[in-house]
Amino acid sequence: MDSPYIVEMEHITKTFPGVKALDDVRFRLKAGEVMALLGENGAGKSTLVKILSGVYTRDSGSITLFGNDIHSDLKPKQAQQLGVSIIHQELNMCSHLTVAQNIFLGHEACKARLLDNRLMRKQAAEVLQSLHIDIDPDTVVGDLAVSKQQMVEIAKALHANAKVLIMDEPTSALTSVEINQLFALIRELKAKGCGIIYISHRLDELQHIVDTVTIMRDGRFILEKPFADMTLNQIISNMVGREIKEKFPRIHTSKGRKILSVQNLCAGRMVRNINLDVYEGEILGIAGLMGAGRTETTRAIFGIDPKQSGTITLDGKELTIHCPQDAIREGLVLAPEDRKKDGLCIKLSIRENIALPNLDKLCNAFGIVNRKKEDAMVAQVVRDLKIKLSGPEADASSLSGGNQQKVVVGKWLARNSRVVIFDEPTRGIDVAAKVEIYQLMNELKKQGIAVLFVSSEMPEILGFSDRIVVMCDGKITGSLLQEQATQEKILELATRFENKFALER
Amino acid sequence: MLSVMKRPLKRILAIRGIAQVLTVTIGLIILCIVFGIMNPIFFSSRNVANLLRQIAPILLIGIGQSYVLITGNIDLSIGSVVGMSTMISATLMTKGMAPSAAVFITIICCLAVGLSNGLLVSFAKLPPFIATLGTMTIARGIAQIANNNYNTDSIGEAAQGFRDFFYYGKTLGLYNTIWIAILLWLIFNFLLTRTKSGRHIYAIGSNAEAARLSGVNLVSTTTKAYLVSAFVSCIVGLVTTATSGMGTMDAGNSYELYAVAASVIGGVSTLGGQGLLFGTVIGASIWGVLQNGLQFAGAPVAIRNIVIGVIVVVSVLLDVIVRSKNVAKKKKSASSM
Repeated sequence: MDSPYIVEMEHITKTFPGVKALDDVRFRLKAGEVMALLGENGAGKSTLVKILSGVYTRDSGSITLFGNDIHSDLKPKQAQQLGVSIIHQELNMCSHLTVAQNIFLGHEACKARLLDNRLMRKQAAEVLQSLHIDIDPDTVVGDLAVSKQQMVEIAKALHANAKVLIMDEPTSALTSVEINQLFALIRELKAKGCGIIYISHRLDELQHIVDTVTIMRDGRFILEKPFADMTLNQIISNMVGREIKEKFPRIHTSKGRKILSVQNLCAGRMVRNINLDVYEGEILGIAGLMGAGRTETTRAIFGIDPKQSGTITLDGKELTIHCPQDAIREGLVLAPEDRKKDGLCIKLSIRENIALPNLDKLCNAFGIVNRKKEDAMVAQVVRDLKIKLSGPEADASSLSGGNQQKVVVGKWLARNSRVVIFDEPTRGIDVAAKVEIYQLMNELKKQGIAVLFVSSEMPEILGFSDRIVVMCDGKITGSLLQEQATQEKILELATRFENKFALER
Repeated sequence: MLSVMKRPLKRILAIRGIAQVLTVTIGLIILCIVFGIMNPIFFSSRNVANLLRQIAPILLIGIGQSYVLITGNIDLSIGSVVGMSTMISATLMTKGMAPSAAVFITIICCLAVGLSNGLLVSFAKLPPFIATLGTMTIARGIAQIANNNYNTDSIGEAAQGFRDFFYYGKTLGLYNTIWIAILLWLIFNFLLTRTKSGRHIYAIGSNAEAARLSGVNLVSTTTKAYLVSAFVSCIVGLVTTATSGMGTMDAGNSYELYAVAASVIGGVSTLGGQGLLFGTVIGASIWGVLQNGLQFAGAPVAIRNIVIGVIVVVSVLLDVIVRSKNVAKKKKSASSM
C-alpha cells in the first residue's frame, strides 16, 4: 500500500428520484486520523457514509478501501468484512442479550458445536479492557446507560476488526463526563490505527479530537483541510454559503396584538425553558438542526407530550393543555411533520379526514353525524383551500403531497382556530404545491391567525418568516428579525451547544 | 476480575426474566398448597402421577410456542398440527402399517408444516399471525381429509406397544408421557441455551435488524424455531392417538392458545427476545394444577376457563406494569442529566 489513505472515494454521484443527493463528491481518510464530516441538514453526509458502508449503492465514482479498488457494488456484509463499521445515532443492539453475547453476535465462539461462554466472556472482557471500558461482560445491554451501550457497540465493531469507524452524532445523548470518556476512547482507537469519520453538529467539540475536516454542501464536496488551519467561522461560512434562488410570496401586514405566549415551557430533555410570543399577522419561523427539539416543542405545546412546567397563554387567557383535545378546544392546532403517519388517516376518505376533528360540531345529541352539515363543511374547505381532488370520497392517500397538506390544514380551519403550528409543512412536496402552501399560510396571516412554522430549509425560513427563533439542543439560542437574519447567523445560533466540555473555546 | 463467574447463585439471579419465573413459581407452590388443603387427595401419588401426565402435553406444545415467541413471532398452527399428527398416525395404523413407520411418516408430515411456517414468515415475510393462521386451517383440513372426513376406528391390538410407549407404560415408576416431556425439555432447553442457533433465536427476537447486521441468518433461525414447534406438536398428537387409541379430527383444538398461555404465564415475552423454558414448565404446571385442582373442587369447566383466562391476563399485566416502571425510571435518569 503506497497511498497513506485507507478510504478513498472519488467522483461519487448518487441520485434519488427527483434529487441529486451526491454530486461528484470526494472523501479521503487516513489510518489513525479523526475526520470530521460536516454540513448542514441535507448536505449529503449520511448518504455518503451509507455508500461507504454499503447500505446504498453509488451511481458512479470510485471507492478504494485499504488499497483495494471496489469495482462492483459494495454490499453491507462486504464493507463490514473489509473493516467499515457504523455506530448509529440510534444504537443497534439486542437489548435482551448480555454485553459478551452482543459482542460475539453472529460469530459466536464454539467448542464441539456448543457455545463456549467462558471463552467469549473472557475475550469480551479483554476487548473492553484494551479500550479501558469498565463494563462487566455479563451485564444485559438493555440495563446499561446509553453511553455505555455506545461503548459496547464500539467494542463490538473493534472485535469484528473494524478499521474505519463511522460515528454519527455520537455525543448527542451523552453527559459531559461521558463525552470525556468517549473522547478518550476515540484517542485509544486512533492509537490503534483506526480511521474515524466523525459526524457532528457540535462544532465546539471538534477541537478536542478532530484532525481534519471535510465539508459538504448541497450534495457537493466543498473542502478538505486540517482542522488546525481553520477557524470556526470559516467552517460555518463554508457549510452555509448556499444561494437562495426561490422566491417567496411574502405579504406585509401590520403586527397586531400578542395572540400566543409560551412561557418557560419544559418537557423532557429536548424542550428546555422555551419562551415564545406570536403576534397577530405574523409568521414565526423556528429554525434549527435535526434533533434540536423543534418538533418536540410543537408537540409539547399541542399537548401530545407531557409538560413538566410552563404556561401557555392565548389571547391573554392562560390555558391548561393536558392533551391534544384541550388544545383543539382552545383553537390551537398542529399540522404535524409526518403527514402520512400523524396528520391523516390515510386509508379514510378526504371527507372523513376533514370531518374527524369536527365531529362534535357535526353530530346531534345522539352522536349521529349530520351528513348534510358534513358535506357542506367539506365542500367549503375544499373550495377555500383549492384542494384538487377527484371527489370527497377519494382516499386521502390518492392526493398529492401538497393537497394532503391542505387537507391536514383544512380540517383545522373548519373550526375557527386561533393558532396554527406547521411542522415542516413543505417537506416532500413539489415547488408549485409549496407556493400554494405559502399562500395558504399568508391567508391565515391576513385573517389574523398566528402562524408558527418549523422548517429545516434555510431558504424557506429566511424567505418566509417575519421573525425567526433558532433552537439548539432543546433550548432557544436566539431570535432574529427577518431583516437581520442571514444563513451564517442562523447556523451560528443553531450550533450553539452548551459547552458540556470544561475547556473554553 | 470476573468474580461473578465464581458465584453461580448470583449468575442465576442475573438471568434476564428469572424474577418473573421465580414469582410464578411461588404462585404455583401456593396453588398446590391451597388445593392440597381443600382436598387431601390432591397430593395422593395417584393424582400426582395423573396431574403430571396432564401437564406433559401442555409443556411440550409450550416449548414449541416459547421457541417461536422468543423469535418475536407466533405459531397458531400448533393445535391443528396436533390434530393432523393424530389423524395421520391413527389412519396409517388402522390401515395396518407398523407403528414405527407410521410415526416416522407422521413426523415428516408435521415438520413440513413447520418448514412452511418458517419460510412463509422469514422468507416470504408474511405476518406470522396470518401465515400460521393459514397453515392452521390447512393442517386441520389435512387432519379431516386423512380418513375421508371420519374419525378413525380403533388402532387395534397391533398398536398396543405404541400406546404403551406414548401413554400407558411406566418407566422407573413414572408414566412414559412424563419421561418424553422431560427428555424433550432437557434437549430443547440445552439447544436454546447452549448452542449458536439458540443464541440467534434470542437475538432475532430482541432486535432482528441488529442480528442481521451481525451476520445472523434470519431465514434459517426463524425456520428452526417453527420446526421445533411443529415437532413437539407432532409428539403431542402421537400421545393423543395413544391415549384414545383412535384418531379424532378435532384433536388438539385451541392447543395453540394453551401453548401461548403456558409460555406467557411462565414469563416468555410475546414481543420476543425474552423467555426461559424453565418458565414454560412453571406456566404449564400452573395450567395443569388449576385444571386438576378446580376439577377436584367441583368447579365446572366454564369456571376453570374463566379462572385460567384471568390468570393469563393478570400475569401479562404484571409484566407490562413492571416493564413500564422500568422505562419510566430510565427516562427519568436520562432527563435529569
